[in-house]
Amino acid sequence: MIIVRRVARVAAYRPQGLAQGAPVASFDEDTFTLAATAAERASTGEREASGAIDVHLLGEYPAVADWGFAALLGRPTEVVRHSGEASELPKTLRAIEEGEGRPALLVAAELPGPTPKRSARAAPRGAGAVAFRFEATEEPRPFAFPKTTVGRSAVATALTVGEGARELPASVVLVGDWEPIGEAGLAARENAPREPFEADPTVVSEGAYIPRPRYLENLPSRWRFLAEACQACRGTTFPARGVCRRCGRKDALTTVALPFDGGRVVAVTTVGKGGQPTEFDAQVAAQGPYDVTLVELARGMRVTLQVTDAPAGTLKVGDRVNTLLRRLYPMEGEWRYGRKAVPTTFRPPLELPV
Amino acid sequence: MVTHRAAIVGAGHTRFGVLDEGPRSLIRSAVEAAFASVDRSADPRDVREAFLATLGFGGHQIGNSAAALAEEAGLVGVPVTRVENACASGGFALRSAVGALAAGASPLVLVVGMEKMTDVSNARRRYWLGVSGDTEWERAAGLTFAGVYGLIASRYFAEHGDASEALVEVATKNHENGALNPNAHFQKVVSREQVRAAPRVARPLGLYDCCPVSDGAAALLLAPSELARRYTDTPVYVDATGAGTDYLAVQERRDLTRFRATHRAAHEAFRSAGWNRSDVSFHEVHDCFTIAELLALEDLGFAAPGEAPALTLSGATRRTGRLPVNPDGGLKAKGHPIGATGVSQAYEVFLQLRRAAGARQVPHAEHALTHNVGGAGATAAVSLFSVG
Repeated sequence: MIIVRRVARVAAYRPQGLAQGAPVASFDEDTFTLAATAAERASTGEREASGAIDVHLLGEYPAVADWGFAALLGRPTEVVRHSGEASELPKTLRAIEEGEGRPALLVAAELPGPTPKRSARAAPRGAGAVAFRFEATEEPRPFAFPKTTVGRSAVATALTVGEGARELPASVVLVGDWEPIGEAGLAARENAPREPFEADPTVVSEGAYIPRPRYLENLPSRWRFLAEACQACRGTTFPARGVCRRCGRKDALTTVALPFDGGRVVAVTTVGKGGQPTEFDAQVAAQGPYDVTLVELARGMRVTLQVTDAPAGTLKVGDRVNTLLRRLYPMEGEWRYGRKAVPTTFRPPLELPV
Repeated sequence: MVTHRAAIVGAGHTRFGVLDEGPRSLIRSAVEAAFASVDRSADPRDVREAFLATLGFGGHQIGNSAAALAEEAGLVGVPVTRVENACASGGFALRSAVGALAAGASPLVLVVGMEKMTDVSNARRRYWLGVSGDTEWERAAGLTFAGVYGLIASRYFAEHGDASEALVEVATKNHENGALNPNAHFQKVVSREQVRAAPRVARPLGLYDCCPVSDGAAALLLAPSELARRYTDTPVYVDATGAGTDYLAVQERRDLTRFRATHRAAHEAFRSAGWNRSDVSFHEVHDCFTIAELLALEDLGFAAPGEAPALTLSGATRRTGRLPVNPDGGLKAKGHPIGATGVSQAYEVFLQLRRAAGARQVPHAEHALTHNVGGAGATAAVSLFSVG
């Protein structure tokens, strides 16, 4: 038993397929998006936290993980990659304990399928991710990790511990574990294509060309829904652009985070085969038509999002949606990432009382 | 008493559709037809300024295409400017020509709208169909224009009730008109059942709710009104132009079902011409998708919000109705070669007001309106025309 004294929050994320006994991720998920979902949910309420944080990654992740967590969390990050070997979990926990109060995230994600390659010794256990957030606290909250690992990989152990956190002392909060979705949802989901999807990111697409610097510049709004509130006129501007859309002032802006969950569908359409921009061709070939929705995140603050994890035609005007980070499309040898919408009826986020 | 600033003295039009002709040949054909249409002949040397409306679809000669117009029109040396406001390029080029005349370009200004869209691969075509929307948010979410108008239609239905039968009426009416237009891309009627049964492109919009991808060009010769009769006894006057812009991405707009750019353009045009809405005998509106024709009727002030479906279903917008809309078939049936469309609308006005529209002639055509929209309402131009 390893007792860790300062766990602030735990979040576990399982792709929906788990409820069917078939733990597969959607085409637009990879280990980075799985880890990102768990990591941001372990940080919910702390989106404005400043100060550096160490991010310990167990398992295998695409290159975006090296810089993506800083953009996701809005904090300077030191990313430390660890293999998924079983011995890595206790080692990493000890390192975090020895960090003496340095904020840290321990993230483990696993995605079965052709890529990214799993360690030969890792037990195939299905897609999922868990994030443990460690922050310095005045009252340490002891958290027990079993010393003997479950299965044979550190990722599998972390997943099991994280999902079991619900039964652990009430000082631990579990966020982002999705409840069963009901019979109607299950029936609809059965018809949704679920095969993991891999597009060749080196293929040059006839796509919307967003130069990489512009993509990176917009990540605070795209990944974290950051808007700017003007203290002079009380207007809010989203996406953030460094100038108040209402009064034009630049000197009275403060950053505000729009909610990830519970947005309202203002408009929705289903893009049929052949109606998609070319950068989504491979996705449509693999998955069929998709929905796109205009979502009101907060009063007057709207964003256009693709819908994922739900069969096309599911959403109606007035419905509520949550949002998750997903892969958008490949461009210039890498995946571009952004948030997508999922119906709340499919995936209610669960937050246990502290 | 309106002070006319500009008069159309000649207009030319190519066939719209899937054509063998390339961009230069299309320009040449439209310009030749415009000169040939001038009653008392016009000398190309009289042209002091020209405007080319084109998106540059496919990337062919996207830069400096104005010089190609000068070559093909026999105007090398004359200043030419390319006007690019996506699908509203033609309407804005006409407005630029009126401005040039007011600034002293005399006796003739040439406006050409042209797009060549069918000679590129399917992938490249779909790339170019999406370049005029918002790239960073709408496009990244997987939308092209059909998708953006699908969102708008879904919102319209949510606010005003299911209007799908009115959309069917827009499609069948415009096909009926297009069937009488020898330049139209589609010269055949479609049944209401065909429209209803067509596959959905962007729910609630189906295949017959969308305009086709077409090649084509149109050209106008304009003169200051006081010189117009040097060229013809029946000039068509441009009484006023109006234009406007809106946020590029619909997520920035408070209201999805009203295009502020159209509102502003219409307000400017009607105020400057001193017209009432009831003065207009027929309309050429931008029906790139059937829902857009309903929005246009409301934004231009001919129907209250939510009332366009009932007005349309009443038959008022048919060629023989009290408010004829798109007697040439509209973008829906005539086709939509992007840069050519706004110029083509004025060409139709030129024919109709001179009682030269043949089988599709609108009775009592004396005052006309054209309405040309860029993208999903980010730019719009409205012009008002009359005869003498």
